[in-house]
Amino acid sequence: MSVSVERLGPLAAREQRGGRRSTAALLVGPATLFVTIGLLLPIAILFRYSLNAFVPGKLMVEALTIENYVLFVTDPYYVAAFTRTLRVAGIVTLLALVLGFPLAYALARTQSRFKNLLVMLVVLPLFVGNAVRAAGWMTLLGNRGFLNVALQWAGITAEPIRFMYTEFAVIVGILAVNLPYVVLTLQSVFEGIDRAVEDAAFSLGAGPLTMVRRVLLPLALPGVAAGAIFCFILTMNAYATPVLLGGPQFTMMGPLVYVQFAAKSNWPFGAAVSFILMTATLVLTAAANLLVQRRYRT
Amino acid sequence: MTDQRTPKVSRRQVLAGAAAVAGASALGLGPAHGQASKRIVLSTWGGDYAKLLTRHISNPVLGPRGWEVVNDEAQVVQRKAKVVAEKRLPKGSSDVQALTATDIAELTQVDVLEKLDHGKLKNAKNLMKIFSIADSPHFSPHIFSGKVVLYNPKLIPTAPKGIDALWDPKNQGKVGVVDIQHVYTTMAAALVAGGKTGDFDKAKKALLDLKKLKPRIYPSNEALAQALQTEEVGLCIMWKARAVQWQNAGANVLTVAPKEGIITYVSGFGIPKNAPNRDGAYAFLDAAMEASAQEGFAVDMGYNPVVGNAKVAPELKKRIGFGPEEEKLFVNPDLAFLATHAAEVKDFWDKEFKAA
Repeated sequence: MSVSVERLGPLAAREQRGGRRSTAALLVGPATLFVTIGLLLPIAILFRYSLNAFVPGKLMVEALTIENYVLFVTDPYYVAAFTRTLRVAGIVTLLALVLGFPLAYALARTQSRFKNLLVMLVVLPLFVGNAVRAAGWMTLLGNRGFLNVALQWAGITAEPIRFMYTEFAVIVGILAVNLPYVVLTLQSVFEGIDRAVEDAAFSLGAGPLTMVRRVLLPLALPGVAAGAIFCFILTMNAYATPVLLGGPQFTMMGPLVYVQFAAKSNWPFGAAVSFILMTATLVLTAAANLLVQRRYRT
Repeated sequence: MTDQRTPKVSRRQVLAGAAAVAGASALGLGPAHGQASKRIVLSTWGGDYAKLLTRHISNPVLGPRGWEVVNDEAQVVQRKAKVVAEKRLPKGSSDVQALTATDIAELTQVDVLEKLDHGKLKNAKNLMKIFSIADSPHFSPHIFSGKVVLYNPKLIPTAPKGIDALWDPKNQGKVGVVDIQHVYTTMAAALVAGGKTGDFDKAKKALLDLKKLKPRIYPSNEALAQALQTEEVGLCIMWKARAVQWQNAGANVLTVAPKEGIITYVSGFGIPKNAPNRDGAYAFLDAAMEASAQEGFAVDMGYNPVVGNAKVAPELKKRIGFGPEEEKLFVNPDLAFLATHAAEVKDFWDKEFKAA
């Protein structure tokens, strides 16, 4: 039913463009308003808080200072928490891609009539909350947990190995949460890649690894990037798993923000830590996205 | 006749009236909250504590007097933040805040709590001397327990005499510490070092000495309980009320009143300065000190009454309470110190004591 612009006069064409614009504004408006009020405004307030001063006993004193940011970058304790968060996020993302890639490929290519059931199995870990899932890991990884009991029963270890309250436990715990997201993202990308291009690669003499490296991976790269970014952001901001499985001596940025607000009532510094976490996540995500886009174009 | 029963009201009059009511409510001018309805908004922790408040105070004591208590349940951190955020409002959203003594110290500093009028609390005359409101005029105590030394006789055959047992090298590897109890552990360290609860410098030195013995640090009381159950550790400091709960659950643990002093844990109530229903708030605070309510909490929760006229069965008293000699050991937290140094204590705990 649309009328081409060429057939209309200049005025009518402008009117049509205006109508489209107002329709677009009407469609985008509510979401924009929601994001502005629900996200951008609190972020602006948070940034303003981060420039306030903290006076013990008075919670927050109006000021315009960058001392909270200076404190963060000059205190080794906070820098260590930041680098630890980056490291855990990097490792979890890498592992999620390595483990998720073949699983997603198998799910995408399977002809099984149980395909939907298999997808549901992948998503199953997301059916329980973070705390419940962590409780499960605790019973598995504890000193008297299943893993230690099994190792001792098999005669592999004599004393229990400390799995709980370690970086290892946190990585395993977060990986279990994030893996389904990565698998589902990759699976949808693989579904969109024509099987014929793989067959073409094989017919031209490529082995499975060469096919993956030269054909599948470049085609799936945008999806791989999306899954990786998703996983990275979730890990950077993880709270429950680091607290429950990392224990009191393992600090990541999410719990650090909470401690500043809740245990120390230091809102300005808590706001600064939040802002640093958010900025770092955004910058790294944007950088990764740009890198992939450039590679994808070439 | 008909006209008298159903006076004619125009559509415009109805709309104007509705707008006036809505406007008055929005401006907080109406009698919607508090006074007229005799409604008290109690801001408290949820779970068993909230249920027991309803069971022993709101329903049996305040109900017959015509008060209706509405619970607003949340963690104390959120509730404190809300009270502070509402500071500038003429009317806040709560009449009573359930808090611990250490929370009170923090809120007193930011000047959001009402200085209590003793004349409005007839039951305050029954308060045990150590919990006198006069010492902390913004806080009305409710229940208490004390920090005792808890040990597993299988792992620690000789009963410890004090908190300093945690610092004894022969107990190395058997000591557990709870992360969320960092304030009380710091105060206990100050006592071990021969100081008072607010002697932070002495506490710091003692904590660094304890760190050398590599105590196991657990995130919560529950995690410590599990470690005691599995005999991963066998010595710690803990609230006596908790010890009783764990004993009931079958843990092989005993308690000792430490010679250095029993640091009290007091839970109670404060009234925000902008409480909409101040009379109701005072009625609640007074009802919480009724002997019957206090006795109910002793039976159902294992915490001790703060009033002398509450009667606790001798057998229960023996398990949860403290004898006359032990009562002499009671030490209250230094609230003035905590109000201004809580963040510093937490910083030291995180960066020095817990750091690898």
